[in-house]
Amino acid sequence: MTPRGRFLLATATGLVLAGLVHIGAVLLIPRLAEADALSRARVGETLDHALPVYTLATGDTPSPPEAWLPIPDPAVAVGICAYDLADGPMRVSARTGPLMLSLAVHGRRGAFYAVTDQAAVRGALDLVVLTRAQYDEALANADENDVSRDVRIVAPDAKGYVVVRVIAALPSQRPAANAAMQAVSCTVDVPAEDKAGG
Amino acid sequence: MKAADMAARARGETGNAGVQGAGARLAAVARRAVQRASTVSLVLYALALGAGIGLATADYATRGGYPFGGVAVGAWTAWPRTGSVGADPYARAVNARRGEIPLAVGEGMLLTAAQDDEGQTLDAACTYIIAGITPPARAWTVTVAGRGPRDPARTIVREGYTSTEILRDRDGRFAIGLSPEVQAGNWLPMPRADGPVRLALRLYDTPVAASAGTLDRTALPAITRTGCAA
Repeated sequence: MTPRGRFLLATATGLVLAGLVHIGAVLLIPRLAEADALSRARVGETLDHALPVYTLATGDTPSPPEAWLPIPDPAVAVGICAYDLADGPMRVSARTGPLMLSLAVHGRRGAFYAVTDQAAVRGALDLVVLTRAQYDEALANADENDVSRDVRIVAPDAKGYVVVRVIAALPSQRPAANAAMQAVSCTVDVPAEDKAGG
Repeated sequence: MKAADMAARARGETGNAGVQGAGARLAAVARRAVQRASTVSLVLYALALGAGIGLATADYATRGGYPFGGVAVGAWTAWPRTGSVGADPYARAVNARRGEIPLAVGEGMLLTAAQDDEGQTLDAACTYIIAGITPPARAWTVTVAGRGPRDPARTIVREGYTSTEILRDRDGRFAIGLSPEVQAGNWLPMPRADGPVRLALRLYDTPVAASAGTLDRTALPAITRTGCAA
């Protein structure tokens, strides 16, 4: 092979490698990112309530700097609840009020479920995120006479987060929207036998 | 040490000899390097080329906005899948790098516009009318933002309108005046003094998110430029 041919072969190999590196890097970014929502949500994993991500400016109080969303909607309060299903199923309870509220469940690959306050039963929206095994267990343990109002969602990954969004249609509703977002409780569901025993 | 001296001298010489001489010498050096290159150096060259171009293009593709996956509807671009499990790997990488929490399909849909209906970039020095109707949704918001960090010295009077607070005509249509100057009616002030701006229309709890491809441009507000300062 001529030196020129060898050089061209090396260049072609380099370009093919570049393609592979490009694809690999793009696929690895979500896993390695340290500033993404999933990693940041871990901070609030031990909280019982939604971790505020974006609270609305009220009156003279500007939106606090903990907001990390790049271009947030100035009329929507956003909170986040991180879950790790290894600790048990995650229960997200929201009371519906006059403001529109939505819950979206995000896994590693993106949002796989979303529900709005229109699905609430008697003013309460109870979302339980669980793994397939926990779901089967819950079904097996369920009392047939006991009507459950929970919305049960099987998560594809053990780790993820639930996003709470409350829309303040008018500026005067912003304090209420902030309060409604932070009032959403996110707790690890204790299995039934533990509850009965304790 | 010696090599560094030689390199410095060579740089000086090429600088004196002028651009043409430098180009010719560089080509000669490159030709000689190609002819004498050992297998090891060629392998290293291929690896460096692969890593360099691969990482640079990956960085470029995932910096800023979503590279693709948008549905263009008139001046607007709908992003129905950026938050769902069906999002493409680029959208997921962009979300991860920006720390963005995208809207899920059942939650709502984001539409963005960086140009007016005639295809000109939205400029902060110009006046626009955003008029028409929106697709069915329980609530929507229209917001305007400039690129990059906000100017802390500039007081923000208003960043957007929600579907509840906007003033409408008798037939339910609305018109927003996006302008650096105060306007009658729904005035949306420009967020910055100059440079490009972007509009975002967020539809909440909308059936449209599942079928963004069928959106018609008349179902979205039109963006018309009415004039520019200077």
